[in-house]
Amino acid sequence: MSVTSTVGGYLARRAAQKERVRILYRRALKDTLNWAVHRHLFYEDACNLRERFEANKHVEDLDTIDRMIADGEAQYDKWRHPDPYIVPWAPGGSKFTRNPTPPSGIDIVYDYGREDNA
Amino acid sequence: MASALRGALLCHLRVPVALSRSNWDPLGSVARFMSSGHDDHLTKEEVIHRVLDVVKSFPKVDPSKVTPDVHFQKDLGLDSLDSVEIVMALEEEFKLEIPDKEADKIDSCNLAIEYIHNHPLAS
Repeated sequence: MSVTSTVGGYLARRAAQKERVRILYRRALKDTLNWAVHRHLFYEDACNLRERFEANKHVEDLDTIDRMIADGEAQYDKWRHPDPYIVPWAPGGSKFTRNPTPPSGIDIVYDYGREDNA
Repeated sequence: MASALRGALLCHLRVPVALSRSNWDPLGSVARFMSSGHDDHLTKEEVIHRVLDVVKSFPKVDPSKVTPDVHFQKDLGLDSLDSVEIVMALEEEFKLEIPDKEADKIDSCNLAIEYIHNHPLAS
């Protein structure tokens, strides 16, 4: 294996790991908001979550990082909220597919054309 | 006297009763208004204003540096987790639900404004 491909492989693996961490943090943060009953409780929980991520900021070993991410994802799965907040129009939200807008070009005929002759 | 005046008035006063059927669509607009998908679009200026407000109110950001085309990490000195938090704040501001992979791509004010302006359900 040439040097460039190893470097490339290293960078690709690093990038994938960074993306996994970002998405894990995003999901965990949303879940924190779901669990928090009030906004002021959320701020504290979010701070704690951020600290847990920051604590392992400088870990360099790729396999250790992979193991930590897997561990974090397992914890996230375990504590996931059973009834998370979903934006109303999104799939699973309270307004999803409710009373959708009529397609454009479709009009309501009030008197089946007879109003023109009246 | 009063009846004479009334008669004179009624002789000369005409109230035109013309109801243009083509514009007469009371129920249609109500149906659109009450349906869950709404077409009223945010203007670009409004989106820019509100996005910048959100970014400026982020604690680690110096509000004077924020312009519509700053990059969160390169220009504002934030790290990747901070930009995750900003995107989440934007989602709450515009009542959006951005899929994780797409939210991950939003890394500058420009992209955020573009994404939100093009989103049909942003409000």
